[in-house]
Amino acid sequence: MKPLKIRFCGFGGQGIILSAITLGTALVTKKGYYAVQTQSYGSEARGGQCQAELIVADEEIKSPSSDEKDILVAMSQSALDRYIGDLKKGGILIIDSALVTEIPDVDAEIIQVPATETAVALGNRIAANMVLLGFVQQATGIISKDDLLSAVEDLVKPQFMDLNTRAIEAGIELAADVSLEVTV
Amino acid sequence: MASDGSNPQGRVLSGVHFMLGNYATAEGALAGGCDFFAGYPITPANEISERMSHRLPEVGGTFIQGEDELFSIYAVTGASLAGAKAMTATASAGFNHFQEGIGYAVAVEAPCVIVDVQRCRGENFATQADVMQMRWGTDGDYEIIVLAPSSIQELFDYTARAFNLAEEYRTPVIVMSETTISLMRERLDVPSADEIAVVNRRYTDLSPGEYKPFAAPEYGVPDFAPLGKGYNTIYSINPHDEEGSIDWDPDVYERMYDRLTGKIAKHRDVICQPRSYAVDDADIVLIAYGSEVRPALDAVEMAREDGIAAGLLKLDAVWPVPEEQIAAAMSKAKAVIAVEMNIGKYANEIERISAGRVPVHRCTKNRGIIHSPEEIYRSIKEVWK
Repeated sequence: MKPLKIRFCGFGGQGIILSAITLGTALVTKKGYYAVQTQSYGSEARGGQCQAELIVADEEIKSPSSDEKDILVAMSQSALDRYIGDLKKGGILIIDSALVTEIPDVDAEIIQVPATETAVALGNRIAANMVLLGFVQQATGIISKDDLLSAVEDLVKPQFMDLNTRAIEAGIELAADVSLEVTV
Repeated sequence: MASDGSNPQGRVLSGVHFMLGNYATAEGALAGGCDFFAGYPITPANEISERMSHRLPEVGGTFIQGEDELFSIYAVTGASLAGAKAMTATASAGFNHFQEGIGYAVAVEAPCVIVDVQRCRGENFATQADVMQMRWGTDGDYEIIVLAPSSIQELFDYTARAFNLAEEYRTPVIVMSETTISLMRERLDVPSADEIAVVNRRYTDLSPGEYKPFAAPEYGVPDFAPLGKGYNTIYSINPHDEEGSIDWDPDVYERMYDRLTGKIAKHRDVICQPRSYAVDDADIVLIAYGSEVRPALDAVEMAREDGIAAGLLKLDAVWPVPEEQIAAAMSKAKAVIAVEMNIGKYANEIERISAGRVPVHRCTKNRGIIHSPEEIYRSIKEVWK
């Protein structure tokens, strides 16, 4: 089986790395897959460019780096512009519609998700990453909602669990009619 | 387990994890019995200290943030001589400062574990540039054990094993970590505590009157005396005889260094356990260590798919050099490729062992980035031509 390669990108402070860690934790500790997660970010505490990569497979993963991604989740225009070249032909591009307005002309399935708007409506824009995770969960089916929520519970402070749960559920709702073909 | 053989609740986190490499290093240390850590901050090694700062107190151990690297290495050596299983961790620029203390730990035969998370370009970029510094960085004649993990699982396993090797051979053992794996998260399977072999401190049966601190049995490693029980030992870096008395006699000096180097050199076939992948029928044998093993394995697979008989020897210990195993792996090959993330350093060792019998090519990368499988495969194809 070919490993599945996902990149989350945006700017520092959006929870880009946490998104990759959460999904990886769910896939490894709840589903028994193998996964490798790497990241790069600027030295700024907030605002610098940030990306996190997750490779998932049903066997041990050798090279920890990969050139072509199957899925790119972009939460800022500048990050999208920088990383779009690594999305494979016919891949899946998921963008936060409030933050990425110029959509490139690429051979990909492009899906716009109002993640930040939804998070703002829930009371905290910082939960936009969780809206996107909920969306990815529902649209791809690579993990169950329960396993995803359980991973969030393992990773985040209890006082943020309620907001994160609502954000994930909102993301799931946004993906109600979306079905993306992804296999691990 | 702890050095007393018990397993206080939570020392070994058995189960499946998705864990950061630096955390896995810390957990491997705890599983290997670590009960003392001293370190000074530096990226990309900080998560080791951070994890130890709360995990060690949980299991009854001691954590100290040193004021610098010299403090840290000497605190670890002192704790070791007092009976602790001790570790410190740093990154390349900090590892420089350890060298003086490593020389002392070697000379007084203090078991301890030193993690060097190699970095380059003054930042968290990937490299294996310290492979020679780990071997030759301190003064005097010595041998040392350096383990080179390639994954989060191996960071755990090798760090635990490093504590055992340190006790068996009474020596500092260096865990050669890298930016690539230290800041990566990956699946980690932690076995149950009773599945993890732990070698504990070996104390003398002799009375204080009969005991000679540096008199060793045939295999070269002296027993410790328990602290505070009436035994007196001088732990000096100066030449010392079996009694521990400082003695500049050339015979004493030669005898001491023959034993210090011999106890490791003579056991290299036990210490080094390299793994072969498709080497038996390989025309081209890649030799790699650390994270570079991973793209190299992909490259071997790519070559095999294209009908090129390639194989890989994965080194687990880079020092001492697994001379016999490297020689055996290259014995039937038409060419060898040394894969490294530096200017090409360990390749010199491989060339030395080859002694001209097999051409040794170099696939090196010194840009702060790990090789891609494609880059290594390109090297294979070039050599194959």
